Amino acid sequence: MIVRIIADVLIAIGAIFALAGTIGILKMPDTFSRMQASTCVPTLGMLGAMLGALLIAIFVKADAGAAVKIAVIGLMILVTNPLGSHAIAKGAYKAGVRPEKKMETDDLGRDLYD
Amino acid sequence: MQKTTLPAVVSTFVVSFAFWVLLTWSFTAQELIVGALISLAVALFSARFFIHEKAFWLCNPAKFFSGLFYWVCIFPVELVKANVDMAKRCFGGCKNINPGIVKVPVDLKSDYGQAALANSITLTPGTITMETTEEDGQNYFYIHWIDVTAPSGKEAGDAIKGTLEKGLRRVWE
Repeated sequence: MIVRIIADVLIAIGAIFALAGTIGILKMPDTFSRMQASTCVPTLGMLGAMLGALLIAIFVKADAGAAVKIAVIGLMILVTNPLGSHAIAKGAYKAGVRPEKKMETDDLGRDLYD
Repeated sequence: MQKTTLPAVVSTFVVSFAFWVLLTWSFTAQELIVGALISLAVALFSARFFIHEKAFWLCNPAKFFSGLFYWVCIFPVELVKANVDMAKRCFGGCKNINPGIVKVPVDLKSDYGQAALANSITLTPGTITMETTEEDGQNYFYIHWIDVTAPSGKEAGDAIKGTLEKGLRRVWE
């Protein structure tokens, strides 16, 4: 019972951070800031939900196969997410995407592209 | 192009086979044999892209436990701090931001160390590594930062990745 409550709280925390990331994606002013906000979803949003699901799988359902699969899914998201982020951010910058409002400092443009 | 060496094949095989067992989670003989064959094929083809330095560095207990300490204690704390900060900005209407791209020096020398640091920085909400360069033997990262509080250089580097880099240096140096 206690475990069930802890798991539900973890899933709720994950949902709150996913909501924060979604609000950021919709309301941030430029591409790169939107990507920054979206990082909330696969990190704490996903980790909270996965930890909750892991607790339920271990202590409520007592299903070792499901628990291991949940852990592997979480690990794979953590390992592969930054690769996509690098590629999208660099590709967008190379393709000429710039914020409307001037950035505070822009060393990448100064050194490599402009 | 790197040559395929035996230690590289063995370590790639171990990783592939461990993932196979974790994903299938069944221990009948046929599944294990098929998994071993496929892992061996994958290892033979991909070991030279996967392993560039020493293959068995994790067998050193000091490095193993400092790596474990980094991924269990140091990194999650930084992750939660940055997530709470980012969530506050998002719920506050996304007005309180000051984005920019800074160039910071990186002291890690090995390829794996730099890759781990770049991925840790990207996973932390608020910072994304966009490009890496090397000038006069010193490595630099170009990092997009949601709230620029310091100009490029050492100071910005400490603010973004000071703790992470200290933890990673114990694993890879």
